[in-house]
Amino acid sequence: MGEATLVISAQPDSIVNVQNFHKRYRKQTAVEGVSFAIKKGEIYGLIGPDGAGKSSLMKAISGILTYDSGSVEVFGTLISSEASAESVKGRIGFMPQGLGQNLYGELSVEENIDFFAQLREVSPEQLISRKCKLLAMTRLEKFTDRPMKLLSGGMKQKLGLVCTLIHEPELIILDEPTTGVDPVSRRDFWAILTELLREQNISALVSTAYMDEATRFQQLSLMYEGKVIAAGEPEKIIAKVPGTLVELVAHPQAAALSQLKPIFQQVEAVGAVLRVFAEGQEEETAIKQVKSLLSNQEVSAIHASQPEMEDAFIALLSQANLTDSDTAPAINTHKESEIDASKKDGLAIEAENLCRNFGAFRAVDQVSFQVKQGEIFGLLGANGAGKSTVFKMLTGIMRPTGGEGKVAGQDMLRATQAIKERIGYMSQAFSLYQDMTVLENIRLYARIYAVPRKQLKQRVDWVIETAGLQGVEKRLAGALPMGIRQRLALGCALVHKPKVLFLDEPTSSVDPVGRRRFWDILIQMARVEQVAILVTTHHMSEAEHCDHLALMYAGRIIADATPAQMKVALVEAAGELLEVSTDQPLLALKLIEQAGFDEAALFGKKIHLLAKESQQVRQQIEPLLTASHISLHSISPRPPSLEDVFIHQIMTHENEVE
Amino acid sequence: MNINRVKILAFKEWREILRDRLFFSLAFVAPISMMLVFGYGIKMDVENIPFAILDQDRSAMSRDYLHLFIDSRYFDYQGDVANEREIDNLIAGSKIRFAIIVPPKFQQTLLSGRPIAVESLIDGTFPSRASISKGYVAAINNAFNTQLLTAYMSQKMGTTPEKVAGFVSPIKIQLRYLYNQEIKSIWSIAPLMMMFILLMMPPLLTALGVVREKENGSIYNIYSSTITRGEFLIGKLFPYVVISCINVVILWLMAIFIFGAPFKGDPVFFFIASVIYVTCTTGIGLLVSLIAKTQVSAMMITVLVTMVPAILYSGLMVPIASMDAASKFEAHLFPAMYYTEITLGGFLKGVGMDELWTHAAALLLYTLVLWLASFSLFHKRVKA
Repeated sequence: MGEATLVISAQPDSIVNVQNFHKRYRKQTAVEGVSFAIKKGEIYGLIGPDGAGKSSLMKAISGILTYDSGSVEVFGTLISSEASAESVKGRIGFMPQGLGQNLYGELSVEENIDFFAQLREVSPEQLISRKCKLLAMTRLEKFTDRPMKLLSGGMKQKLGLVCTLIHEPELIILDEPTTGVDPVSRRDFWAILTELLREQNISALVSTAYMDEATRFQQLSLMYEGKVIAAGEPEKIIAKVPGTLVELVAHPQAAALSQLKPIFQQVEAVGAVLRVFAEGQEEETAIKQVKSLLSNQEVSAIHASQPEMEDAFIALLSQANLTDSDTAPAINTHKESEIDASKKDGLAIEAENLCRNFGAFRAVDQVSFQVKQGEIFGLLGANGAGKSTVFKMLTGIMRPTGGEGKVAGQDMLRATQAIKERIGYMSQAFSLYQDMTVLENIRLYARIYAVPRKQLKQRVDWVIETAGLQGVEKRLAGALPMGIRQRLALGCALVHKPKVLFLDEPTSSVDPVGRRRFWDILIQMARVEQVAILVTTHHMSEAEHCDHLALMYAGRIIADATPAQMKVALVEAAGELLEVSTDQPLLALKLIEQAGFDEAALFGKKIHLLAKESQQVRQQIEPLLTASHISLHSISPRPPSLEDVFIHQIMTHENEVE
Repeated sequence: MNINRVKILAFKEWREILRDRLFFSLAFVAPISMMLVFGYGIKMDVENIPFAILDQDRSAMSRDYLHLFIDSRYFDYQGDVANEREIDNLIAGSKIRFAIIVPPKFQQTLLSGRPIAVESLIDGTFPSRASISKGYVAAINNAFNTQLLTAYMSQKMGTTPEKVAGFVSPIKIQLRYLYNQEIKSIWSIAPLMMMFILLMMPPLLTALGVVREKENGSIYNIYSSTITRGEFLIGKLFPYVVISCINVVILWLMAIFIFGAPFKGDPVFFFIASVIYVTCTTGIGLLVSLIAKTQVSAMMITVLVTMVPAILYSGLMVPIASMDAASKFEAHLFPAMYYTEITLGGFLKGVGMDELWTHAAALLLYTLVLWLASFSLFHKRVKA
């Protein structure tokens, strides 16, 4: 490792320093001129959708990927050759993307840990003590003999973290550790990570595609298509886009949407709520303007708040002129049929006491729910909760063990063929033919669903218009960006004008801009065409869009209500969500946990906890913090998110089971 | 070189192979079943050809003539038939491969000194078997002609048949097959199959084993750790070489005890040469795995680069000596040919080190080139 060059970096306390980084794969540019620095003890975030260049950056910093120009310094060493990269690898831990993909499926939990430790030359004595501690923290002690491949997604990620930390690196690099993990495990993962970092004073570089995880980081870079859109502390990035977020309920929603769209750049229907981001406006003026625009409509529950990272991200993107790549589908309001009550009241899906056994294991247990025409219904749950089994039974792919149901007016036990003709289905995996053009794919699906020849042209044109595919008709499906691909898949599922639409995690890998456009189409389908939409997901961002939610846990539905009702129920059951702001968040979190608030969690520099009496909490916490010389900035209530609801419900049930 | 790291890597790989059902079968079940299937399948001997007789003469002479066929070990007599239609049905239904029709007045015509044609029908669907059958039929027919001639001459000349025999066919060929006295094809096929299987399976298993890590992303554990390139390659491949060595022994025992092939050579030299050979073929797999990105492409490339030389340039189908200059040159470029000589030498010729060391040395050189090429191609800091 002789040729390792020592460079005194510009910022002496930074352990990673990236300057003007460029990386190309053949002709495709992955990262273009990125610079940032990570200070010791910091959690640094890279946030951005798929293809933003996060993985390339992380691999280059880990010394396992070459780059084309710029410089990468790690621990003061310029990483410019295989030899210089080798010289710092002992002090780095790297966890690649993919759920447990870097672990060995055939080996048990303990064998995996031992392998990583021996690979990193951890002495047997150190291994024993570290293994004990890490297994206890991640609560994996009970599963040491279980083969890795039989672990749940969240457990695999925790094991991955243990394996990455076993040699006590000074810097850990985690590539999308929370992607594909349910919210409970996600929060758990963050808690463990924060605690580990606090105890061992190691630094971390973590990437994520979830905008809502931004607050977990002390510093972050917001990335899009190989460039950094904004960098700094999360609050400061949001502050770069001054403005007000106005949330309201309007009736009829589709008309309100079309009235607001031309005025505001960001208008989005999230379930029953309309979210309007009034850029550069104060709260009062923003509300006033929205109200005056919607003067001829029923407007209720209007309130203003601070924008979130996603709003800032989209605003920053449009400021940088990066969002012109595809056309947004136009909202059709002229044939709005919300008045047509006869169509609306019909039930699209009725499930009654559905059960399904796999041998002795009951995957679905007495599930009942109803979906109305024109309603977006979300089936929520962690991996293995039984969502996809319910899906398969309703679409006629799998016979239920017990119970009955109707889909699109047809009996699901007897008329499976008739059901298949009346529903549209879009799976999580990209199920189109990548070597065929957009137009050919749509035509193929139209023929498969026996669209009459006379209507073919008109129907194909309708799909292209509805899904916003104008201009890409002749392109190969495989060459499209993720967001447009998903819209094509949706278009193909709609080509026979189904009455019921089944979607399986439709937007999990799509960037925020693409996701909003996708949901625009769904909302139009539901509100205007009165299509009933059933969505299964464990992404809270998708769940927020639903009119009604059913939460599944261990094969049963444990909550069935609208998102708003669920939040109200949470406050009634567990109290308000309080945000505690202090100058030493890590230490404060420990004290608060010790005081008996088990569900307290760290979000960036702030601590969230649930409590019935906010005054009492203040009285309880304040002396604790003062005793440890921590100054308390504020304790303020926040509206709970669906994630809070989800986690609380699951935790409550888990405790009941135990 | 840190031996400890090599050891734990090899141990991890070993455990994974044993626990993964697919890899376990590829490692041990596939070579054994290939040996059984090919060993019994590519039997080239033609014996016990089922046949039927239509005797339209039913004379003493026709019976004598037909008995030559019935008594032959190459033919398996299935019975007499009443008419030609029956023969058609039997051949069409693959009950018999050959039929012989003796015409009426067979004895009468022969005794009157005139020639007569005997019709024989041979199933021609498998040309090589048909032509071998034809050879047997012609030989038996010749024998009968000679018998007739001898009997006639001895009667005319008033001497003993033995004397006449020397006069009728004065030159006899005395044939001795060397190395495989009974020219049993399985004796040479079993060692050739060892060559074939040990050329195909080790690279396939190795390539899949390495590319699987690339596909999963677990290769990043290696890239991002401090293990050196050499430690990784040796530790990763050691189990595959060991598995192949175990297979050498298993296949060798199968060749001897199941297929009855005699091993006459020097076992020590044979095993050393075999270890070099499997290390070499494992190296092919390693090289493929560094080029391929997915397990599917790794499998395709491996089958292509091993199957063609194994069949065409190894001496399996065509002996190297009878190839044209260009093919001969190509044959020397692949490792298969050298090992073919070593196995045949060990099994049939009973030769060892003294005659075959150049072949073993060629394999060793080949191995070194493959492994060095792989070492220089493998990087822990990659371009994509």
